[in-house]
Amino acid sequence: MNSDVERPYVVFGFETTHDALTAEAALAATGLALTVMPSPKVLGALCGIALRVAEDDAPLVERILAEAGVGWSGSVRILDR
Amino acid sequence: MAETDASRVVYFDHAATSWPKPDVVLDAMQRAMHDAGGNPGRGAHRLAVAASRTILEARGAVAGLLGVAEPRNIVFTAGCTEGLNVAIKGLIRRGDRVVVSSMEHNAVARPLNMLAAAGVIVDVVRADEYGNVDADAVELAVAERETRAVICQHASNVTGSIQPVGDLADIAHDAGAVLIVDGAQATGHLRVDVGALGADVYASSGHKGLLGPQGVGILYLSSDIDPDELVQGGSGGNSEEPMQPRLRPDRYEAGTSNTPGIAGLGAAARYLAVHGDELRVLEGELTSRMHEGLLGIEGLRVLGPLPGEERVPVISVVHERIDGDRIAFELDRRYGIAVRAGLHCAPWAHNTVGTLDSGALRFGIGYGLTSADVDYALDAMREICA
Repeated sequence: MNSDVERPYVVFGFETTHDALTAEAALAATGLALTVMPSPKVLGALCGIALRVAEDDAPLVERILAEAGVGWSGSVRILDR
Repeated sequence: MAETDASRVVYFDHAATSWPKPDVVLDAMQRAMHDAGGNPGRGAHRLAVAASRTILEARGAVAGLLGVAEPRNIVFTAGCTEGLNVAIKGLIRRGDRVVVSSMEHNAVARPLNMLAAAGVIVDVVRADEYGNVDADAVELAVAERETRAVICQHASNVTGSIQPVGDLADIAHDAGAVLIVDGAQATGHLRVDVGALGADVYASSGHKGLLGPQGVGILYLSSDIDPDELVQGGSGGNSEEPMQPRLRPDRYEAGTSNTPGIAGLGAAARYLAVHGDELRVLEGELTSRMHEGLLGIEGLRVLGPLPGEERVPVISVVHERIDGDRIAFELDRRYGIAVRAGLHCAPWAHNTVGTLDSGALRFGIGYGLTSADVDYALDAMREICA
């Protein structure tokens, strides 16, 4: 795979690290691929961590987090390598 | 005396801090330092995230052990004292009234004494001579006038008495007050279900019956209360906000957390989830053995509940002729037995049971002790008190 190819992702932001890592655990338990990353500025907070998932997985992520009772503060579509 | 080996340590000071710790606690702390050495909640690089995960997992383990449904309602503190200070100073205002038991440790008494000087009304309900708090007496006190908070320990660090905190929760709530519980001597030694107890605040130390390291404690805050935080500062996120975020647990954990300590406490909580029941059975047996043995030594008065009554594994004694500090010194010097003499940071409790002037000699039983250790300590006491 050419790592320089940009692909569409959705990044989920959270209000606290506790929420972000609770979400990570809930998503990881389903086997869903995700990446922990710094929260992007566009999500409003200049600190904290966010979770990046493939764009196609975003609706599933929202369902999993809702079922787990984990809220997210916002999400944004990005192109990334 | 079969054995007087002063090179060994026979540790009967578990009410002050437990020792030794399960190996898993030490291992977890070392792993945290070695593999998760970033700053938790600060940054997204792998070591910072590893530290954050360590704390998340520990919070979940502690919440699970204590029956707390929502882990974010568990705050990690530097110890039980800090947690109690957050609750007391964060909830109680000038003009408020507090009803508190006479068995409280200075972790409660001193903050209340300070608040009393600043206009808080503090009414103390006296426990009986065994150190037992009477729920009916608390109910009567609460009924006298509007009350903001009822404060009571779960168990006494002087007498081992177990207090009726579940009943006190009902009494407080019926009066529109909150219940603040000091659980320092209960967690680990009792099967504590904070959710079932109904306390609004439950603070405890991590290093006593919970078998974690020193320097870490827990503070449970129910979702229904909103105490002010004691400390403001960096919380990792929401840095653009000028004021302390109100989100839990960040609100109450400003500054860099004690990740190794929390890792150790998390490991201890997981250990107790598996082994806690068997440890409690053993502690009960050893406590009964010690209690009966001490009662048979002439000149000793044993404080607290009578044999057969419930207690945590704390037994304090007073000798009619020999000061407790002298016995403690001899136990350590001649027998390698670690105990604690004095007032145990609890002058209110000692005043209640009539030992404010003499203090007492305290045996705190816990992890690692055996019936042979109890017999050894009893033999030593018989020799010293002869």
